[in-house]
Amino acid sequence: MMLEDELTVSTRERDGVAIIDLVGDVTTFAEEKINSAYREVTNKGSRFVLLNFRQNDYINSAGIAILIGIVTEVNRNSQKLAVSGLSQHFQKIFRMVGLAQYAEIYQNEDDALDGFKRLSAA
Amino acid sequence: MELVLPNELGYELIARDAVAAFARRAGMPRDQIDDVKTALCEACINAIEHGNSMNPELRVQVSCCVDDDRLVIEVCDQGVSPFAPKAEPLSMVEKVSGFGSLRGMGLMLISQLSDESGFVPHGEVGNCFRFAFQRHRAASLSC
Repeated sequence: MMLEDELTVSTRERDGVAIIDLVGDVTTFAEEKINSAYREVTNKGSRFVLLNFRQNDYINSAGIAILIGIVTEVNRNSQKLAVSGLSQHFQKIFRMVGLAQYAEIYQNEDDALDGFKRLSAA
Repeated sequence: MELVLPNELGYELIARDAVAAFARRAGMPRDQIDDVKTALCEACINAIEHGNSMNPELRVQVSCCVDDDRLVIEVCDQGVSPFAPKAEPLSMVEKVSGFGSLRGMGLMLISQLSDESGFVPHGEVGNCFRFAFQRHRAASLSC
């Protein structure tokens, strides 16, 4: 139906952090886009990765499964992962499924970058 | 209210928007409607992927009614074999450690977001999953 093109994924770098912007719905159809963006920033040698969510009206369990896959790779590659920009509801969902054990959850991108700064200074 | 959906991923969003409008009319608060929306989508995805095994010839039926106390939603598929979820889903630690599928969180999410949930006897072929939410700010609206 109409889900396939509902997510835009792009990457950028700010203050030494690789930011993956996820704009739109995160569902089973997002797998290739998200994994490809993660591979891109990892191939560039990024140690700190931020998944920055925007306008995410729909994140389902299939989308969360993709993010768990990213967590697995982040652990394997000794990177640090954080997420930002989630609505209160999806912050709750991420905590419910246990993703918060593996990725710090921040309200917004600036807070996340501050968190990474503290982490790298420690 | 009753909806019949094609057995195709994406149509759960149509049901979600309709049920969210229904819940709003029933006076439920926004944060609880967010819970309803997520639970409904997960139940529909289970029906489409597992109950109906992605068969495009089959349908998913969503019924939704409200009384003074609760919003009750049923999602029924036409699958020929019973949906048999694992008794104990994998923990996040187990998933991240690669001990099994990364999927399989839908029922857990529904049970945590709703006030009651479970499969109910279904007279015809298929599975029927019912889940309910206590109403906090009641308004009168019939089924």
